[in-house]
Amino acid sequence: MNKQRNEISRERIFDAIRAAAPTVTADVKAIQNEALEILGESEFARPALLAEDAAEALTLRIEAGLVIGTSCEKIASLDQLPDSVNQFLAKYALPAELKVQEIERLKALNWDGITTEVDIKNDNTVGLCWAEYGIAETGTFVVHSGPDMPILLNFLPLYLLAVIPKSKILPYMDDYALIAGEIAQRGETPRNMCLISGVSGTTDIEGVLIQGAHGPEVLHIIIVEDQ
Amino acid sequence: MQANKPENFYQNVKDALAQPDLKMIIRRTTDKAEAKRAEAIANFPGFENARKQGQKVKDHTIKYMDHYLAEFEKNALAQGTIIHWASTAEEASKIVLDICRQHEAKKVTRSKSMLGEEIGLSHALDNSGIERVETDLAEHIIQLAGDPPSHIVWPAMHRSREDVIKLFREYHKDPTYSEEIIDLVRSARRDLRTKFLTADIGISGSNFLLADSGSSCTVTNEGNAELTITPPKVHIVTAGIEKLVPSMAHAVPLLRLLTRSATGGEITQYITFHNGPKRQNDADGPEECHIVLVDNGRTKMLADGMEEMLRCIRCGACMNHCVVYKHIGGHAYGSVYPGPMGSVLTPHLNSLEVANKQTHACTLNGRCEEVCPVNIPLPKLLRSLRAQSWDKKYEPLTNRFVVKAFAALAKRPKLFQLVSSCGVIFMRLCSRQGWIKSMPLAGGWTRNRDLIEPESKTFMQQYKAMKKAKSDGA
Repeated sequence: MNKQRNEISRERIFDAIRAAAPTVTADVKAIQNEALEILGESEFARPALLAEDAAEALTLRIEAGLVIGTSCEKIASLDQLPDSVNQFLAKYALPAELKVQEIERLKALNWDGITTEVDIKNDNTVGLCWAEYGIAETGTFVVHSGPDMPILLNFLPLYLLAVIPKSKILPYMDDYALIAGEIAQRGETPRNMCLISGVSGTTDIEGVLIQGAHGPEVLHIIIVEDQ
Repeated sequence: MQANKPENFYQNVKDALAQPDLKMIIRRTTDKAEAKRAEAIANFPGFENARKQGQKVKDHTIKYMDHYLAEFEKNALAQGTIIHWASTAEEASKIVLDICRQHEAKKVTRSKSMLGEEIGLSHALDNSGIERVETDLAEHIIQLAGDPPSHIVWPAMHRSREDVIKLFREYHKDPTYSEEIIDLVRSARRDLRTKFLTADIGISGSNFLLADSGSSCTVTNEGNAELTITPPKVHIVTAGIEKLVPSMAHAVPLLRLLTRSATGGEITQYITFHNGPKRQNDADGPEECHIVLVDNGRTKMLADGMEEMLRCIRCGACMNHCVVYKHIGGHAYGSVYPGPMGSVLTPHLNSLEVANKQTHACTLNGRCEEVCPVNIPLPKLLRSLRAQSWDKKYEPLTNRFVVKAFAALAKRPKLFQLVSSCGVIFMRLCSRQGWIKSMPLAGGWTRNRDLIEPESKTFMQQYKAMKKAKSDGA
């Protein structure tokens, strides 16, 4: 019954569209070319980056305070990450414990003196995640859901550290969209692709910006230069 | 607060104007949004090009809507999403409720969706006995207050901090006794956290639907969409069919326009593309994903030559810049969509017969069109609705009489001049010290503001005198 109702509504909608715009049936290739032509205009319709180098542009954007609640630092190699994490925890007077994303390259680091397993369902926790990409235009890091990337790791902790490999920092959102298109072509699209540009914020009470509405209040981006 | 009805627009406006603080509360947010938008656009020299590109993306998708809808359906199904089609609001609501019942859901979380409001989902869920938890902070506030939304971006902008303090103290389990805004936000964080994690179903809207991948996209600053969608076993998306774009690359220019136009930010903190249910072995995520594609008047807009309105990306810039909205607020419109965009949309979602008065609540100053990120000619569309309303005889008899009388006068220049010179004399008799505080037949104007005294001669009298003086001089 529901299936039948669904089919009827579907047909009704398509019939109404075709009746309203009888010229819609066109050759698919022509539609694709028209769509591609629009993308050709992006070069003149996007903001200038703060530096030519994408990693530098992303850093400058964060340092200029343009990414809400976010700080950043560069480290030469991944083995320096535990030191950076320690400094971050000390800066905010936090206990030496956080949830480290369970991927081999992070787990393999020397975490002596730091607990790397906490329940992020509790509030006031710290999370550390590995970003797939960075985007200079918007000061963004991108995460993809997967067996070793719980999406909630980026949303439940009050403090979040995100590691971005320098080589994966893209200039514009358009560049990430192209990569996402290629991933889709390979049939490997993850369930979630999250573009995160700052901390959880709200202006819903008297227009005043408050950080840490539901998710992180503080975000620290660590760019790893040799990755 | 009971939702106002669109057909009672004039009474709604009177009630809104009688609220002493409403205008101040509205302007606190809209003026800030206006200033921040201006700043964001000043910092983005390519904004005009971006607007043209954004408009082209939407026009292209609307032109080939049947193609892109079919593409979207095919690709979403391939991701494992279950697709539902709804011609009307009632159908859409019923589909969502049926899914909830199938899963014996006791508690659902919702991230803000104007489409959800449009199809009456809040009421449908409440009436079915399912616990509904609004997770956007503003929606949380108005849910506690029992209010309808008053703005599409800041639905609780009509509520002051004092209102929020009272509501949170009354309803939160572990309320704050501080009056600081940060403590109020923390109180909501505490209250909502366990609800996020224990909901049976998460319901969201979608800012964009990507045809080439079958993805839905949510855009928030709070991150509540991901927290709504990820923990429960089932994710339901409700989306209007006009949310389609060909691909993620086509959504990018619209994302650049959306945040700058809505809040004056450069980008929202969270943009997430949702692609069906969780994959095998995924660490978290819903096991089932449904998308309800809703028409509810959109194909009628296409048929009625109002397709430009389908470009709308729901940024709210038109209402932030509207002189009428800033005086009366959102509730007076009696619709989910207030302001200029709402005055065009509501007659299609409801009917022109009940929502024709809103089309006249516009000075046609053109600000809404100037700031629209996708160049929707809102004044033109409003004028067209006014004409339709006239043709269908929806205007009150007094209005029709006055317009017809004016037309008759305007066609007879001598009579027009005689009547207007009598009018000037009459108005000057009513005037005191350069201002008219009250005058017969002008109560609609003078009730809320004074009218300036006219010149002693009509335009034509002055023009003739000037012409005569010139010829005498020559």
